[in-house]
Amino acid sequence: MDNYVLELDGLVKDFDNKRAVNNVSLKLKRGEILGLLGPNGAGKTTTIRMTMNIIAPDSGTIKILGEHFSEKLKERIGYLPEERGLYRKMKVSETLRFFGELKGMKGDEIKARGSELLKKFDLEDYYDKKVEELSKGMAQKLQFITTIIHSPDLLILDEPFSGLDPVNIELVKDIILEKKKEGISIIFSTHLMAYAEKIVDDVVMINKGKKVIDGNLSGVKAQYGTKFVKVNYEGDSGFVRELDYVQSVKDYGNEMEIELNDIALKNKLLNDLVTKISVNGFQVTEPSLNNIFIRKVNEGEGK
Amino acid sequence: MKVWTIIKKEYKQIVSKKSFVISTILTPVMMAGFIFLPILLTKVGREEKTIVIEDYSGIVKQRFEENVKADKKVETELKLKFQTESAVPGKSGEQNILVKEYEKNLAAKKPGQLEILKEYKQKILDKEIDGLVLIPEDVLKTRRIFFCALNISDFETNKYITSAVQKILSEKMLTEQDIDIKVVKEAIRDVDLGTFKVKKEGTSKASSGMEYMMSILMLSILFTVIMAYGQLIMRGVIEEKNNRIVEVLISSTRTQTLFYGKIIGIGLAGLTQVGIWIGLAVGVMGRVALGVDNPLVNFLTLELAVYFVIFFIIGYFMFSILFSIVGASVNTDEEAQQFAAPITYLLLIPFIIGIMVTQNPNTPLVIIASLFPLFTPTLMFMRISVAVPAFAQIALSIVLSILFTMFLAWLGAKIFRVGILMYGKKPKIKEIMKWIKYK
Repeated sequence: MDNYVLELDGLVKDFDNKRAVNNVSLKLKRGEILGLLGPNGAGKTTTIRMTMNIIAPDSGTIKILGEHFSEKLKERIGYLPEERGLYRKMKVSETLRFFGELKGMKGDEIKARGSELLKKFDLEDYYDKKVEELSKGMAQKLQFITTIIHSPDLLILDEPFSGLDPVNIELVKDIILEKKKEGISIIFSTHLMAYAEKIVDDVVMINKGKKVIDGNLSGVKAQYGTKFVKVNYEGDSGFVRELDYVQSVKDYGNEMEIELNDIALKNKLLNDLVTKISVNGFQVTEPSLNNIFIRKVNEGEGK
Repeated sequence: MKVWTIIKKEYKQIVSKKSFVISTILTPVMMAGFIFLPILLTKVGREEKTIVIEDYSGIVKQRFEENVKADKKVETELKLKFQTESAVPGKSGEQNILVKEYEKNLAAKKPGQLEILKEYKQKILDKEIDGLVLIPEDVLKTRRIFFCALNISDFETNKYITSAVQKILSEKMLTEQDIDIKVVKEAIRDVDLGTFKVKKEGTSKASSGMEYMMSILMLSILFTVIMAYGQLIMRGVIEEKNNRIVEVLISSTRTQTLFYGKIIGIGLAGLTQVGIWIGLAVGVMGRVALGVDNPLVNFLTLELAVYFVIFFIIGYFMFSILFSIVGASVNTDEEAQQFAAPITYLLLIPFIIGIMVTQNPNTPLVIIASLFPLFTPTLMFMRISVAVPAFAQIALSIVLSILFTMFLAWLGAKIFRVGILMYGKKPKIKEIMKWIKYK
């Protein structure tokens, strides 16, 4: 049996004069979570739409569960599109039934799975309500339920966190991790790298249609070394940028992330800091995906 | 079957709409209103009328009074009251002059016809009386009487006066020939003229006109329903195309399934509505026509009804799919309206050719036109209603139009697919061809 549930190879897609996706390849291992990261407009959604056979790539190949896309495969995939939509006039129960039947489920099955999931998402009181009566967050949750109701082998989620409040983001995150435990392979896209960081096994970052980073999360992080220091402080921190052993600084006002040329210089930094500002906290950290991404993009553009 | 899921959803979506329920109920109510209201108004809204009869002939007065007394309907239903007066004999000549002048005025179409009858003019204007019937001295010879009133278009009053006077005159002439009064009375006894007339004309002389009218009526039903639901289907397709739910749908099922499900679902909703209406109409008409020799009932044989259903359904889906192809190839309602216009013309052409069909249903041109799939539902049905053509022709036309409809559905589904795919991209012919080949 093939070890990869999803293999994209050399995908290219042009829109009018713009190359939206430029030679993107990626592989998703069975039972793992892959984060497709990048800023808005990087080509994430286009890549996913090509994967779902909604639009055709201009070149490149796609293999899902070891096969080329086919009707039969559709029932084994759960797809959450970026732009959400449900039928407003339908009841919640009818919505589940409709999407469940589309995925080839039987009535009893849908009822059992549906009420189980509604309970999990705290929506069981809305079973007989119309979709238009739900709040935006609830509708999002309902849509998520329709995506996973048929217990797919592969989940493809386009921006699953968008439009959710922090509580529901946690909920979706938990569900994703739970699905992983069940052995389901998941690929999701997001521009919120901080959320992705907590759950992904593998990372693919794309920018302007091109893949810039690809690999195992810890591997990617190791590659960029532990050269970051997080400082909580009070005072004027402008001088830090001028220090010759500091590579980059991200200053948030009373917290900053400082990248050093060499982590061995951390004590020297602390010495220099305490002479000028009041230090409340000092911690050596791994680089965040956000930092890595920014570095990578800057490198690519020759900065 | 996933297509069944889509059909159910589309059907329910339409049928559960308030506007569907309202239009289903309201349309027959309004139709019934248009048909029955005028009849109802003439019955209920009848005011009592007093009409003076000036009899210069001396023949009519007495018998008229007797007849009115004997016939209770005159007072209860027609609500007519008559004052009969014998004119002063001496004034007879003068009256005849007035009548001549009256006729002259009539010929010249001058206003003020009442002027000549001064003594009654004011009474009529003051609404003291409602009308005056003038019976000239030489009525037996000329067979002319005159009726002056504000309202001279009350058809039933006019009819009653005419027939009453006519009967009296006939009676007079016959008794003068020494014919037994019993025989005379029997001879001039009332016949139910109204319904008799309709029957004669309905079955013999006006037959072909009747058939033309009826087939036009049925085509109008087809036309109206196609226009209403074709547009609905067209909008539904545009909506689905622009709606992002479609992404989930086509990631769950084939685009063709989605497209067919949509057309069939909305289509069945339309048929449901028409079915309810036809059911109502048959129910109401069945009651009205019970025991009455109704021209519609004569026309509508079982065979014709079956053909109507067949051609209605074929035509309905053929044009619905044409509309949905328009919907699939445009992005906005405005664009769609432009492209929908030619389809309307396609529907109208058979109405024009139709006249030719009723006259010569078997000329080569008509036969070929009725085998042309786009015209089959209308023209072939017309031919059947006028003179049933060879069964082979009917069967061929049905097969051809079904094949054609299937081709349209296939094409529509392909275009629909391409339309969905064109995110931020105008479709190029090359690309469309690529997708038509794509599975």
